[in-house]
Amino acid sequence: MIQTIRFVLAAVVGLLAATLPHSSPIALSVAAVFEDAPDPESPAARTLQYRYKTLAKQLAQLAPAQPYIVVDTARNHLYIRRHDEVLLDAIASTGSGTILDKPGTGKDQWVFDTPRGEFVVQSKLTNPVWVKPDWAFIEEGLVVPKNQAERMESGVLGDYALGFGKGYFIHGTLYTRLLGKNVTHGCIRLNDQDLKSVYQLTRVGTPIMIF
Amino acid sequence: MILWAVLALILPLGHPARAADLDAFPDLDPNNPAALQEATRVLEEELKLAAKPRAYLVVDLAAMTIRIKDRGLDLYRIPIAAQRGSMYEQMTGVFRIAARPPVVRRKVDPSATTDQEPISLADMPSSYRLSMTPPLSLTVMPTVGEAPLEWIWSRGTHWWRQVKGWIKSIISGSSSPVEPDLQLTLSQDQAQSLAWSLVDGMPLVIRRSTDNR
Repeated sequence: MIQTIRFVLAAVVGLLAATLPHSSPIALSVAAVFEDAPDPESPAARTLQYRYKTLAKQLAQLAPAQPYIVVDTARNHLYIRRHDEVLLDAIASTGSGTILDKPGTGKDQWVFDTPRGEFVVQSKLTNPVWVKPDWAFIEEGLVVPKNQAERMESGVLGDYALGFGKGYFIHGTLYTRLLGKNVTHGCIRLNDQDLKSVYQLTRVGTPIMIF
Repeated sequence: MILWAVLALILPLGHPARAADLDAFPDLDPNNPAALQEATRVLEEELKLAAKPRAYLVVDLAAMTIRIKDRGLDLYRIPIAAQRGSMYEQMTGVFRIAARPPVVRRKVDPSATTDQEPISLADMPSSYRLSMTPPLSLTVMPTVGEAPLEWIWSRGTHWWRQVKGWIKSIISGSSSPVEPDLQLTLSQDQAQSLAWSLVDGMPLVIRRSTDNR
């Protein structure tokens, strides 16, 4: 009942707000913010044009000169770009965003997100072997083995793997029907052909920008 | 300023930059000093952000686009359908997002026999308010055509928050109590996409429009 009243009130207020001009008593008009701009014909304006071009050039120089990887985790795409040119557009699978309780630790959890931010390719592996972490056993209701050899699983990561830190890799998958979906534990999965292209187009040190 | 004037006269452009390099803001009219001044200010802020290895946002009110950027490169662009705001004069400098919109995460159940649904864009909110440091309120809402109830709710709560702020300022007698405020209307899926891409502490700069929209 209270929720309904709150909603009706908000709706009425919302409709009222939509009809009112948006301003606060201390708001300045947008034009007033820029009233100290120089005259278009003045030397100050030409100086400003030069400064703008210089800054734009400096900004452009911060971009990687070599190919770089961009991963769009919302739409599950991996791109390799050089400057503004797209060299590869691959459908990927990225982190599922789900959580798993760590047994016996109270509140500790694994969060299966693909990390966001800027990374670099730290390692390039061929015929990688998956060393299954604890969560891989726990999420299947299995006991975590004490023997390291029981964690090894080959043939599930594809022909190549590119590590970018903290156990995260760009690798292949057996589950190609899931490409384009957020299903991984944080790694980035690709099909075999795209994985090969990524392996060939990048080197250790290639920037990876994940958003 | 004098130094820049002298440099402009005596220095040729160093090594040639590609034409695209200078298109930091392709919509910019170089003969509009106010727009040029604003773009230059934003570039100064961006240079500091782009020097570090992390993504940042440029809320470009002149081009009506939100740009997710890293190293000065556009990673993704989100069109802004409409914008409103107050206290634009204080929307300078770098703001940092205090916290991304909350995500309802599903828990993996080891005893489950069927595959569990991962989160997706559809799980993200399309109406939310972001707090920033220094203070700035950024409200994102979907277009009224796509989600009328959410839009009304968002506008209503936003207006109510403003009224409460004004009342508080009148009672306390302070002259500048209300924080700068920006409301962005995005398509529903783009609002969800933005919520997805935000991270705690993400820096943000605003390029203000010189037009009265």
